[in-house]
Amino acid sequence: MAWKLGRRQAIAGLGGSLLLGNAAHAETPRNGGTLNVGLASDAKTYDPIYSVQFTERHVLYLVFNTLVKYAPDFSIQPELAASWETSQDGKRIVFTLQQGVTFHDGTPFNADAVKWNIDRRLDPTVNSPQRELLAPVIASVEVLDPHRVAFNLTKPSPAIFSLLGERPGFMVSPTSWQKLGKEFAEHPVGTGAFVLKEWVRGSQVVLEKNPNYWEKGLPYLDRIVVRDLAGSVVGVQRLLTGEVDYVGELTASDVRPIEGKPDIVLKPIKVGRWYFLQWHVNAPPFDNAKLRQAIAHAIDRKRLNEITMRGQGYVSDSPTPEGLWWYDPTVKSYDYDPAKAKALLAEAGYPNGFEYQLSTPQVAIFQQINQLLQEQFAAVGIKVTLQPVASSEWYARVVDGTTNMTPTRWTQRADPDGLLYILFDSKGFANTMKYRNDKVDALLEEARTTYDIGTRKRLYRAAQQQIVTDLPMVPLIFGAEYAALRGNVRGFEWIPDQIPRFRELWKARA
Amino acid sequence: MLRLIVRRALMMIPTALLVSALLYFSVTFLLGSPAVMMLGQDASPQAVAALNAKYGFDQPVVVQYAYWLGAALQGDLGRSYTTQQSVAKAIAVCIPVTLELSFWSILLATSLAVVLNTIPAARWLITRATTAVNLVGITVPNFMLGISLIFLFSVVLGWLPSTGWVPWSEGVLLHLRHMIMPVLTLSSYYFGVFSIVYRAEFRDVVQRMFIRVAQAKGLGEWRVAFRHAMPNAILPVITFVGISTGQLTGGAVVTETIFSMPGTGRLFVAAIEGRDFPVMLAIGMLIVIGVVLMNLLADIAYTIANPQIRFDA
Amino acid sequence: MTRPGLWIGFLVIATVVTLALLAPELAPHDPYRSGVDMLDLPSRAHPLGTDDLGRDILSRVIHGARTSLAIGFGAAMVGMVIGVPIGLIAGYFRGRLDFVLVALIDLFIALPGLVLALIITVMIGPSVRNLVLVLGFVMWPAIARLVRGQTLAVRETVFVEAARAVGGSQGWIIRRHVWPSVLPVVAAQFAISVSFAIFTSASLSFLGLGIPPPAADWGGMVRSGYDYLAINPLMSLAPGAAVTFTVMGFYVIGASFK
Repeated sequence: MAWKLGRRQAIAGLGGSLLLGNAAHAETPRNGGTLNVGLASDAKTYDPIYSVQFTERHVLYLVFNTLVKYAPDFSIQPELAASWETSQDGKRIVFTLQQGVTFHDGTPFNADAVKWNIDRRLDPTVNSPQRELLAPVIASVEVLDPHRVAFNLTKPSPAIFSLLGERPGFMVSPTSWQKLGKEFAEHPVGTGAFVLKEWVRGSQVVLEKNPNYWEKGLPYLDRIVVRDLAGSVVGVQRLLTGEVDYVGELTASDVRPIEGKPDIVLKPIKVGRWYFLQWHVNAPPFDNAKLRQAIAHAIDRKRLNEITMRGQGYVSDSPTPEGLWWYDPTVKSYDYDPAKAKALLAEAGYPNGFEYQLSTPQVAIFQQINQLLQEQFAAVGIKVTLQPVASSEWYARVVDGTTNMTPTRWTQRADPDGLLYILFDSKGFANTMKYRNDKVDALLEEARTTYDIGTRKRLYRAAQQQIVTDLPMVPLIFGAEYAALRGNVRGFEWIPDQIPRFRELWKARA
Repeated sequence: MLRLIVRRALMMIPTALLVSALLYFSVTFLLGSPAVMMLGQDASPQAVAALNAKYGFDQPVVVQYAYWLGAALQGDLGRSYTTQQSVAKAIAVCIPVTLELSFWSILLATSLAVVLNTIPAARWLITRATTAVNLVGITVPNFMLGISLIFLFSVVLGWLPSTGWVPWSEGVLLHLRHMIMPVLTLSSYYFGVFSIVYRAEFRDVVQRMFIRVAQAKGLGEWRVAFRHAMPNAILPVITFVGISTGQLTGGAVVTETIFSMPGTGRLFVAAIEGRDFPVMLAIGMLIVIGVVLMNLLADIAYTIANPQIRFDA
Repeated sequence: MTRPGLWIGFLVIATVVTLALLAPELAPHDPYRSGVDMLDLPSRAHPLGTDDLGRDILSRVIHGARTSLAIGFGAAMVGMVIGVPIGLIAGYFRGRLDFVLVALIDLFIALPGLVLALIITVMIGPSVRNLVLVLGFVMWPAIARLVRGQTLAVRETVFVEAARAVGGSQGWIIRRHVWPSVLPVVAAQFAISVSFAIFTSASLSFLGLGIPPPAADWGGMVRSGYDYLAINPLMSLAPGAAVTFTVMGFYVIGASFK
């Protein structure tokens, strides 16, 4: 690989050794065929600049390329940026771009396009939801020559690379974006391996091979059809009949009917979604530390995992699961101990327990977790009633504070700053717990402006232990989740962000 | 009579206005900030504020309603909060699915009800059986029937696709295969109701003199049943189709949800789950107008067929 | 309706009422107790198997009878309380009042019940109390129309004419002469209303607007079991059958007496 080692190499931890891990497969990829993907889609737009929904990215990664990409261990790899160098003070990154790349509309991809893409997202009038992520970090983008572009940062930012591997890094065609306007949402134009041919909302997205794709030999498939499914049962059914080749977001229960089927391959996700129970630390009764500890002691996380995940997930002691470099096994949360929970409740001034509403989004897994929590709380005298909330309305209520106690889940980001800062820094925009600990703020601030991985590890360990001790939320579990594929689909590998990448898949003869 | 029809039609206007205003005010009053709902978990507060201004959520409700009504009268039903799509366009895509589902269901229900209750042999032999079937049709909830069908034909036997919908363009056979279970599910209730209505009328007609005469003239029992009795007994069933549109929409909502068909009913449920107010309001209005209109048509059809009956409105 | 049908109806209702009254005694397990044996097929310990949280399905179906009957009877009562007086007044006094009431009844009767219930429930939130109110509100026009028709017929009969001639007060005439002859129709309609309320509330639950978990609610159980149809179909089919039989039982009774 002809890309220079930037300072980022140290941050990424494991080097490029895993990059080709999958290609080591003995078979030679076969060209052609259609991949049918079954998906419970929540897509609203395929314009990356406005994208916020989870499954939009399944398609975006096909139509677009990002500047950098994630390897299965979350290390950063080159994509549209072939290489990069970081300056001594860490405040300037110069990207050298791939040459000979064109957008689907025939216009060239170059440094001007990169600048336009970032400027668009930074422009307040465009109102991109990514502005908040980029604006504090990026001072300006500078075109050096057609294939070299410099990012001038306001301060050193190791997390910028992880941002450029997801939504802010999708490079859209400036020409088509300006020409199509609102229509771009339905007719996205990028440099990706597939071209979006048709999107019938609520039904399907048809993508066809980009014959001029810049990565040699790719893609193998001729067509990808993403079919909208109502749910996992339907998905599993269709997989069995061969109507679809891929179904994702399956729970441990969902896969029971297909376990051990010879023509089906199950791909468990290694780094699962993080589930936790949150509240407002300033609002009574949760402003009482003893009460928070009592609740933490009342929760049997092992049983939650055993029942909701069939024991295939993991108990969570911190925001970070094993397998990511900022995971530290010495960070510990409170043990399951109902007797201690009762004692602490009494100390907190609630000898007879208390009653509260537990907000319940209409999603099967949250309903399951909440019913189990309700049972476990009842054992120590806390009586919660489950308050149903439409899943679309739920987060709005969490934000405006009308919902207090609720289970939540987040997927992992490629950089620890991605999740820890937005959730637990007092300025983090997703800090709906209203948590504020100056020590944690200082640790997170220092960690997000340091490139040295050893230092960052130490800082994040300290921050996570402090957060878990303070209990703005109780960590519950890391979920088990599966993708199931027809046996002849090859090349699938999970990235810990849980977005399946279909670009490099191929189909062997069935 | 024309005047009566016009008067009835004009009465629909205040009804529609009343219902739309009621719907609008109660929904806005009871639902919270749509902005955060629309933007989702990854949105920042700045984006929320911008959206509030853009959609005029910071204006008084009456002003918002006036704007909505003005636009709606020009065919602009606004944009969906969740998909940003034009509501009129979204509904237009869904309507054919619902209409087709309803059409097949009504067709199946009426023809089965009529044929089964007309065939002379069957009439006498399976009176008991159809009574039971009618009862089942009327009382078995759609969702139970749908799930049982899915369990039997998809999970156990694997004969039919469990859910979903495929456009005609992808193959006529494939399209129809996906329609079988939804149509069976939706039609069962109508079969029960139509069967009862038709049978009562059929008996009545047979009792009447001219059929006796026909019989006396030596015409075959089949001929009498199908040529003479059936055409006379079928009218109430047709008017009943109009009257039961309201029921039909309810059934379609459930059926489309079970089989995840991209129809108006499922769009409505999705809008309700997503608190997608413009879509909820538009489909709510569509249903009300549709139901009122179908009732009017049923009335008119009935009056034309039986001139002695008059509107008493 | 045939006589055996009637007996079957009574039998079903008697069974459901017994289940509801004696649920804690009859259920083999605590319907809310989770377990680590999830989605098991029927066994000696769990005759209908277990649900997604390892709870005993049979026990949940038995306890579900309480919820269903509470909603069914409650909503039918609310419908009666609103519908019967309106029907009586409209039918007895006729005139302008009748015209207005009939217009109101016609307006509401044209609105599809399930859709109306769906909209109101989403706004006020689902709970047993709210469902009783919503479904009662949805059902009153049908009841009022029926009572009005019956009252109209009775009003003209000889004995009401006679009572009026004798100079009985309006209230007295309604109570002594109109009401007794309307009562049988109301009773039959009550059974049908119970049936309709159970049917509709189960449909609402299926659409996700039912009584929140962990309540043992038949429609909600059908909905959550839908995802596991291929693992333990009884999680969905057993409560579904319970809804169906109960709805059928009440309907048969109502239809026979009408």
